[in-house]
Amino acid sequence: MPDVGRASEAVASTPPMEFVARLVGFGHALRDAGLPVGSDDVVTFCSAVSELTPSDLEDVYWSGRTTLVHRRDHLPLYDEVFRQYFLGHRAPADPEPYESEPIAQGQSGTLNVPDSEPGTQTGDDRPMVLGRQASGVEIQRDKRFAECTPTELAALRRIMAQVRLEPPRRRTRRRRTDPSGARLDIRRIARDAMRLSHAAPVLHRVTRAERARPLVLILDISGSMADYSRNLLQFAYSMRRAAQKVEVFCFGTRLTRITPALDRRNPDDAMKLAAARVLDWDGGTRIGASLDSFIRRWGRKGLSRGATVVICSDGLDRGEPAALASAMERLSRLCHRIIWMNPLVGDHSDTPPSTLGMMAAGPFIDTLESGHDLASLEQFAAKLAHVG
Amino acid sequence: MSDQPRNETPASVADLQAQLRSAGYLASRGLATATLIGMRLGRPILLEGEVGVGKTEMAKCLAQIGGRELIRLQCYEGIDTYQALYEWDYARQMLHVRALSESELTDAEAVSGLYGPEFLIERPLLSAIKAGISAVLLIDEVDRADDEFEAFLLELLSDFQITIPEIGTVTAASRPMVVLTSNRTRELHDALKRRCLYHWIGYPSFEEEIEIVRLRAPDAVATLAHKVVAAVQRLRDMDLAKPPGIAETLDWVDALGVLGTDDLDAAAAADTIGAVIKDRDDLELVEAELDRVVADA
Repeated sequence: MPDVGRASEAVASTPPMEFVARLVGFGHALRDAGLPVGSDDVVTFCSAVSELTPSDLEDVYWSGRTTLVHRRDHLPLYDEVFRQYFLGHRAPADPEPYESEPIAQGQSGTLNVPDSEPGTQTGDDRPMVLGRQASGVEIQRDKRFAECTPTELAALRRIMAQVRLEPPRRRTRRRRTDPSGARLDIRRIARDAMRLSHAAPVLHRVTRAERARPLVLILDISGSMADYSRNLLQFAYSMRRAAQKVEVFCFGTRLTRITPALDRRNPDDAMKLAAARVLDWDGGTRIGASLDSFIRRWGRKGLSRGATVVICSDGLDRGEPAALASAMERLSRLCHRIIWMNPLVGDHSDTPPSTLGMMAAGPFIDTLESGHDLASLEQFAAKLAHVG
Repeated sequence: MSDQPRNETPASVADLQAQLRSAGYLASRGLATATLIGMRLGRPILLEGEVGVGKTEMAKCLAQIGGRELIRLQCYEGIDTYQALYEWDYARQMLHVRALSESELTDAEAVSGLYGPEFLIERPLLSAIKAGISAVLLIDEVDRADDEFEAFLLELLSDFQITIPEIGTVTAASRPMVVLTSNRTRELHDALKRRCLYHWIGYPSFEEEIEIVRLRAPDAVATLAHKVVAAVQRLRDMDLAKPPGIAETLDWVDALGVLGTDDLDAAAAADTIGAVIKDRDDLELVEAELDRVVADA
């Protein structure tokens, strides 16, 4: 019962040609609006409509919705195109483009300073000084990586490219053949024994297969982390390229997912795109609220389930410590392991910095790392497989 | 296999809705349309939605109204073809070989008999293919299975045939009705989605939910049903980690019924809140606002 055959037959026999053209046109309109609508989908759509009452617009609506849309996120766009195409509603004057956020050339972007706080000029502070205040100002602007000198960037990239990342692994419920495995593969032994009934049975063994654990990087790009955030982003880019299942988020006062931006082959493009996505570059810090939105939007859906979560932040938090503690507690129940990378730790990883944020988060951190220079980043990448 | 004529499918969307309703399921127009198209075109239906909105229930009711057999495959991580498709009963085969005498073993027929249907353990997918149109195959929580299994399903759902090396190819004489459900803990592969008709089941409106409660819990007092649904709808607006589904609404009505209360006040709600809220953080949030949640509209 090949359905394409039946479908085309239905299309050919029942509805009149101009009607089919109208339906196909709708498919094209959806495609123009950016929905991934295949020809096979359109064929299914036409045959679906012919099974119902084609004159009933509601039937057309629902059959299109079930045959042409494959994701929940696309439903609003479908509704809009349907309204335009069949009901003749006008499109809004300025439809919001998805990917065309302009990448600012230089520092000129939107500078939106709601209120300024004396003494927190982000550029001048030396982040290695302990006990510094996190800045409470939310500055929205496009941050360029151009400030990084070319030699510095090149050196970074060369080293970053060499980062051998061994992602943490977990055992799955699947088994694979392994001559030194602990368990016997009874099924296979029996199968062989059935075939070769006179030979002595060969013992096959299996072991649990392994696969990479998801890795989630959550980077603090607020003002107090300014000196590190660029390196961390580079590092995240290398990680994303080195292993499967790596998700990268940035936060200052709000959380941004930058994983898609980092998928560019050219590291510079990737960095630019990522920087353009993040709106609260070098602003204040609200770790608790950002982690909370991570949990709500992504963590609960399973993104962090069984994952190793790496939070890179100095723990200088402008939000409520209680909010941070409760977010960390929930995160620790959702993921496999939490690694906190704090550049303020430096080389003294046994004495964690006593910022309020670190104290609130402390009980839920499995491993505290430093990541203040390239050497420590490399070390971290090398031992990730073991700490995770 | 019984190849029932196609005209057994309901004549119209309204017809299907009425049939489902008589089985105790209130299907929205969209869901009924998707289902009817799936039945007519022989396409699987992929139902996505929040937890407890009746995705699995839909498949059960579909089986019930068509007088079809429900074959359910619950997916989990690491599920493989032996658990989903078929397996040879090796232990019985061995016993059988032992029981045969030396001379009987040389008989080719006796050997090929070893791979007869009596030694084949059918798993849900094979059963469904054999049953054809007289079955509803429910592939539940497909997002829990891993990618490998998804790829395998893809192949199965396009051809509806299985090749067993020892026996040959088993092809479905007619296609079973297939319903897949997903809680969206991860995004399914696009190729699998394209094979299916897609429908997102959202939370019902106030009126719809009252209808559902009346349908599923006919003994509940009307005012109680009204108050419970209003409270649940408020809970859903509260930005909870686990908003209650329809299943929770029905549980709550039942729980109150067990206590013999006809009214939902703060005290009764506090006693039975465990039927709707199942997360500690949410519980704290809700308990603080219980009066507002159960207030009269």
